[in-house]
Amino acid sequence: MQRDLVSFPLSPAVRVKLVSAGFQSAEELLEAKPSELSKEVGISKEEALETLQIVRRKCLTNKPRNDSTSDTSCRKCTALDLLEQEHTQGFIVTFCSALDNILGGGVPLMKTTEICGAPGVGKTQLCMQLAVDVQIPECFGGVAGEAVFIDTEGSFMVERVVDLATACIQHLQLIAGTHMDEEHEKALEDFTLENILSHIYYFRCHDYTELLAQVYLLPDLLSDHSKVRLVIVDGIAFPFRHDLDDLSLRTRLLNGLAQQMISLANHHRLAQVGNIVQITKPERMHSTVSNHTSGI
Amino acid sequence: MYTARWRNTGERKSDSGEGFVERSQVLFFAGSGIMSNKKLRRVGLSQELCDRLSRHQIVTCRDFLCLSPLEVMKVTGLSYRGVHELLCTVSRACAPQMQTVYGIKTQRSANHLPAFLSTTLSALDEALHGGVACGSLTEITGPPGCGKTQFCIMMSVLATLPTNMGGLEGAVVYIDTESAFSAERLIEIAESRFPRYFNIKEKLLLTSTKVHVFRELTCEEVLQRIESLEEEIISKKVKVVIIDSIASVVRKEFDTQLQGNMRERNKFLAKGASLLKYLAEEFSIPTRRKEHLYL
Repeated sequence: MQRDLVSFPLSPAVRVKLVSAGFQSAEELLEAKPSELSKEVGISKEEALETLQIVRRKCLTNKPRNDSTSDTSCRKCTALDLLEQEHTQGFIVTFCSALDNILGGGVPLMKTTEICGAPGVGKTQLCMQLAVDVQIPECFGGVAGEAVFIDTEGSFMVERVVDLATACIQHLQLIAGTHMDEEHEKALEDFTLENILSHIYYFRCHDYTELLAQVYLLPDLLSDHSKVRLVIVDGIAFPFRHDLDDLSLRTRLLNGLAQQMISLANHHRLAQVGNIVQITKPERMHSTVSNHTSGI
Repeated sequence: MYTARWRNTGERKSDSGEGFVERSQVLFFAGSGIMSNKKLRRVGLSQELCDRLSRHQIVTCRDFLCLSPLEVMKVTGLSYRGVHELLCTVSRACAPQMQTVYGIKTQRSANHLPAFLSTTLSALDEALHGGVACGSLTEITGPPGCGKTQFCIMMSVLATLPTNMGGLEGAVVYIDTESAFSAERLIEIAESRFPRYFNIKEKLLLTSTKVHVFRELTCEEVLQRIESLEEEIISKKVKVVIIDSIASVVRKEFDTQLQGNMRERNKFLAKGASLLKYLAEEFSIPTRRKEHLYL
């Protein structure tokens, strides 16, 4: 393995010492034992062990390049595979038929959807509706998942969600009435107001630091709650707009956030823990004021 | 003589100025951002690590989370995995608590916190699904002369009423920027809307002592007043905060014809709004901002 040592995620101090001791590529490193390495290079035994583990792990995943069937971390697949996947993936209905038609069935899973618009047009309402709709049981055409709602603006209203959930239950009861199927009846027993509300996990972030922190912790959260199928960030740009004067920092942080969320969706798809849709909701990122004064 | 208490601009509350970083010019408010201003020392990091970070001017959680992983590696000398664990530790210290919506709902009904403050105007209450929402910011806009200040004065009376009459039985903070508040009018409204309740002079006096009026004439003063509100709210058991009106100070100071002013104006509005929202949620009180719309 002729890979250069500089390309490994080692700590800078250790890397400098390895290079000055004469190690250039990973191959040379793999032959050494931890205690020998620590004596020769001048690092502690723990650091030497950690270094060797990092290098070994990276080398092993690179080896079976020709053996693609067992390599689950490989991201290549054919367009046909993707097509099959897209056909079978579920959608989250919005209960607005025009919108569902345009979107091709509803909000798609495994994709990131952005909702933007002028203030007051109904973005938060749509997000709250989706948080309820993601929980619709499979026999009614839903995805039977849970939702994470990250709120940065504070416009989330519990009473409104109660209204939406109640209306959804009534709607499904009407459908079940026409089908008169045991399966539908049984699914409806679990689809109660209490269950719906208990499966929406709510986080209130007051500024961009809390938002950044929450997104860093999302992978752990998603592994704990494996049934989550929807992550909503209501107002992803809002905390960055008034608190940050440094435009380059703002751009970097926002882009970093977007990247993290995309990688989150992909990673969980690979691990087959859950298919996740993320809805980010940036309102206008530039600071022109809309027509009425409440353009916050 | 019936008087509502007047208070001119009080002394400025010092903002927590520590942690001023050259990277971003952010004012640390007393109310919002408590978690992000948390010093890294209190997060549980080793003393040595904290010292190393503070040498690079990274003192609070906010400074730390604004760095990219590569920068953290350079500053701390840790490997990529170590950096990742460190990021998780710091994030856990300042991330918000998780709540389920069901948990929020049961908590509210257990605390008997009303979700809405009825305006006693049945058509309006119906349109608003119960009244003015507690725990969030409500904006009242309209052309001049349509009755916004009168509405605000009436809501002040309603907030001081006992709960069995539909009020919140608490004090009111009224931030007045136009000197439009009239104590005489307050008494007049109280007497004519609730003649049976306000039949004794003492009750009228009591209501008027519960309305705390602050006269602020510039944007800066309004912002300072909002920043210092938290202590007032706790000590005086304030249930409603009214700002009358935010549009007038903004229009006075920011001429929208000039290019740069738009950004400053928005920044001020957004800062004020986020502070008010934090207060509203924290103390579950309705806050009202009045705006004028000039066509």
